[in-house]
Amino acid sequence: MMGPMIGRVAAALLVLTGAAAAWAGNTLVAAGQRVAVAKSALTVAPASEWNRLGARPGRQTETWTLDGDPLNDLTFYGGIETGRPLFREVAKRTKPLPHFSSTMLLTDLPALFEQSYRIALDTPLVTIDASEPASFLGEKAVRFRYGFTRQGEEVKRQGEAVAAIVGGRLYMITFEAPSIHFFGRDIGRVRDLVASARLGA
Amino acid sequence: MMHRLAAWLGAMSCILSPVAAFAQEKSASRPGFAMAPGACILLFRPDISVGAQSTGGIAEPNADWTQEAREHLDAALGRAQQGMGHPIVTAAAPVGEAAAALAAYRALFSVVADSVIEYQFFPGNRLPTKKRAGQFDWTMGPGVAALGQGSGCGYGLFLLTEDQFGSTGRKMLQIVALMARVPVTSGVHKGYAGLVDLRTGELIWLNADRQMGGDVRTADGAAKRVAQLLEGFPGAVPVPAGSGQ
Repeated sequence: MMGPMIGRVAAALLVLTGAAAAWAGNTLVAAGQRVAVAKSALTVAPASEWNRLGARPGRQTETWTLDGDPLNDLTFYGGIETGRPLFREVAKRTKPLPHFSSTMLLTDLPALFEQSYRIALDTPLVTIDASEPASFLGEKAVRFRYGFTRQGEEVKRQGEAVAAIVGGRLYMITFEAPSIHFFGRDIGRVRDLVASARLGA
Repeated sequence: MMHRLAAWLGAMSCILSPVAAFAQEKSASRPGFAMAPGACILLFRPDISVGAQSTGGIAEPNADWTQEAREHLDAALGRAQQGMGHPIVTAAAPVGEAAAALAAYRALFSVVADSVIEYQFFPGNRLPTKKRAGQFDWTMGPGVAALGQGSGCGYGLFLLTEDQFGSTGRKMLQIVALMARVPVTSGVHKGYAGLVDLRTGELIWLNADRQMGGDVRTADGAAKRVAQLLEGFPGAVPVPAGSGQ
């Protein structure tokens, strides 16, 4: 029983050592400048300072925060390709994440997000509370609100997302924060930032 | 979404860089803060959980241990109050919606404290906006004022302790892993104490450590834990010898 466990621990350590080496550290995002995000053509112009986290949820994603991602998590998905999950797999063999497909309808995207979160957070406590047509990057889009509670935590979080499929790729911006104080305090500046988003400089 | 990965990397960085881990701050207060003399502090019911840690690292709550810890910690807190330099009012146990609100804010306090540890105290993962000289800018929001209504207190004190004692299997795994030069921790002994301005929700002092000492299931251990939790408390005064501490 012990042998396989030690092997798993050693393997995890090797992966983490590599991940830590590739970790670029957190950097300041200055106010008033247009910046490219998620290693993609997606650009935004923040009106206030943010912190860009060095650790990324996936290859084509990037997270910004004001006080740490448990308190305010703004994540950019910069052109997820068909056949790819929204973010890095957590247990590919036992609980694989659903994949984005360019044939999806906008109305399929909230369900893709919900299912991905349920698996990644290992909790059934993820809900899509509302969904409506929107405009994003000059394209037809879907805006949806969601809520979730993490395993082992009692903090209820609210989220808002806007997503569009452009050229067969998924572009999305999500914002989530505790329902108490943080979501209400920050959602206004997030909506302004989302309104500034475009593809290219 | 990023929370789990960042926390994991932060924890691993501590293991991989012991020097950095020891250099980590454990306490901070809002710059320029000075509590008015005689200002009373509302002590919320401490959030206490004690259990075991399975071989695989899973927490297994133990109600008996938690009850023992609560009795010992309550007694130790009672004795420690005379050294805190301000009148302490123990908040009445709320019921109904008020109980739900307190539970929600206690949970939020835990998350805010975790963020302070991860993004300000831990140098390797500090946020650029949080590492400016002399800065300690954290809040729980002005809604926290509702918890203090009718108390007459301007400040609220949140306390949290979480202990998971490593099972025999976990300790064996730790020894075997040590021989394989793989770091595996056994046990969790977390303690957070935070003073909040009940008018604004600003966190004005935090003492938070994920490796506190003292076996909270015993009277001596609980006294040690309380002393660690309240170390550096704003306005604290030395307790005279023989006061029962």
